Amino acid sequence: MAIELHPLEQFTIERVLPVRLHGLDVSYTNAALAMTAIVALIAALTIFGTRRAALVPGRVQSLAELSYEFVADMLQSTVGPQGLPFFPFIFSLFMFILFANLLGLIPYSFTVTGQIIVTFALAIVVFIGVTIVGFVKHGLHFLRFFVPEGVPALLLVILVPIEVLSYCIRPFTLSIRLFANMLAGHTMLGIFAGFAALIGALAIFPVAIDVMLLALELLVAVLQAYVFAILSCLYLNDAIHMH
Amino acid sequence: MSEEPPSDPLARLGERIDRARAERVPVAKSGGGPGLQQGLAAAWRIGIELVTAVAVSVGLGWALDRWLGTRPWAMVTLFFLGIAAGMLNVYRALTGTGGAVGWRRAADRAARPAPPDDEDC
Repeated sequence: MAIELHPLEQFTIERVLPVRLHGLDVSYTNAALAMTAIVALIAALTIFGTRRAALVPGRVQSLAELSYEFVADMLQSTVGPQGLPFFPFIFSLFMFILFANLLGLIPYSFTVTGQIIVTFALAIVVFIGVTIVGFVKHGLHFLRFFVPEGVPALLLVILVPIEVLSYCIRPFTLSIRLFANMLAGHTMLGIFAGFAALIGALAIFPVAIDVMLLALELLVAVLQAYVFAILSCLYLNDAIHMH
Repeated sequence: MSEEPPSDPLARLGERIDRARAERVPVAKSGGGPGLQQGLAAAWRIGIELVTAVAVSVGLGWALDRWLGTRPWAMVTLFFLGIAAGMLNVYRALTGTGGAVGWRRAADRAARPAPPDDEDC
């Protein structure tokens, strides 16, 4: 990679290992590489963090336990004890997004959560899963979720479609929120980095701005992972308790 | 407490941890940071919520029109429904429990002290 002048260049998918299968392009790309790294890191953290479980935890163990407790608390406070069977899913979701966001902040790395298809895939999995949970828990009674109470029948004609629509929009808002935050932040970093490459000695100013932006991006990275996870919890809560 | 001989260091540590736990004030759930951050997050949320709702509904309407050949009625209907849904989502996000899409919960919070017959939904 030469000097990166185009701020959007960082989002291009490149084939690391070209593979063609029955005419389909299933190459191993830089996005896949980043995701492999994310999963490997999370696995390493949780495996090494719990292997020698000491009563007074070391750094890695402490990190693993903190993330575990954080997600468990989140699930407990939003869904309650009925939500705990879904802990592995929410934990994986949170850790994956968190690591994707954080690893994306390393210069020259690839931000998978800056790809709409990745965030949308995550969101649609949550959406479909939550809907299935709702139907399994409540049967067809789950459809009453879309019928507001104490409303005249005439208004229901308008309100029920609105309810259904607002339910179906969830995966889109969920994915676009994460994607847009990542895209905007990284584009901004890229723009200032591009300035720095252009103006020679004055480059210190855009670089200083980038350093500050990086701090902001660190906050956004953690916050968005949290938001995604807690919204998944809240959707799960809706499906389980039908509020 | 540290004067007495360490009969069982682990047990004492456990005791200390328990005491510290008991002293800890139960953390309020999912609290946001100070004002600016919360405001920014809310602004992001509202914007995305509104725009996405309208965009998705119009897209859906357009696809329905293509499929059923009813141009432009599905798109027009869904456009308005989409605006309503988006506003509903924003309203709920801001008045409800910070992000829940809960019609009844928001209503319960606002006015009624939760009548028990609400339970089944």
